[in-house]
Amino acid sequence: MKTTQSMTSIRFGVLLSMLSLIAIIVLFEVGIRLEWTTLMLIVEIPLLLILLISFILSFIRTGLWKFTHKPLKDLDEREIALTSKSLRQAYAWFAIIVLCILLVFAVFNIAVSIVLAVSLILFAHLIPGAVIAFTEKTLRF
Amino acid sequence: MLYIYSMENRKIYNRIVILRKEKGMSRVELAENIGVNFQTIGYLEREEYNPSLDLAFRIAEVFELPVDIIFSTSPFQSISQILKERSMEEEK
Repeated sequence: MKTTQSMTSIRFGVLLSMLSLIAIIVLFEVGIRLEWTTLMLIVEIPLLLILLISFILSFIRTGLWKFTHKPLKDLDEREIALTSKSLRQAYAWFAIIVLCILLVFAVFNIAVSIVLAVSLILFAHLIPGAVIAFTEKTLRF
Repeated sequence: MLYIYSMENRKIYNRIVILRKEKGMSRVELAENIGVNFQTIGYLEREEYNPSLDLAFRIAEVFELPVDIIFSTSPFQSISQILKERSMEEEK
């Protein structure tokens, strides 16, 4: 798939997905620990919409999601090298981020919520695509 | 003297574009013949990706030429340069 979107707009979309996901987690964690306010709920809905729209535009429509989730047998040697590089970097980023989160949660004696766990799983699936979007000059799959 | 080459930095030059056009093949046809995604042909032609030895041999088999005619570690001469040199040699 060759995308018609510019790399800048793809990177912006990827960044927006990541930031909206982080904002959703932070807001949820604050909400369950303090008290859910109407304002918090009002903010959560647009954040979810931003995540959904930016995810569709920057991961689905560009083919990034499909590319990073393709079985190995459907990839040629260049694509295997590219996915391998992106997964290696993504694993490093994911490990650092999760360790930092767990450390903060352990220090402040905070229980890990199911929303955080689910978000981290989604995050783990998004990072390889994000790495490709930020390291490649063009996206041609 | 021992030379240590960085796999990341060493560029492999090739004549895939010229040979493919000479054979009248599209990128898709060449990709199907060598078993890669057609986008990879673009990367190879722009010399943005160095093929494996196996892929280089598969390309050589399609063009029915030795590998060293298609790939080189130094830039190839342009057709005009080759023709110019040939005509100069003939004049001599």
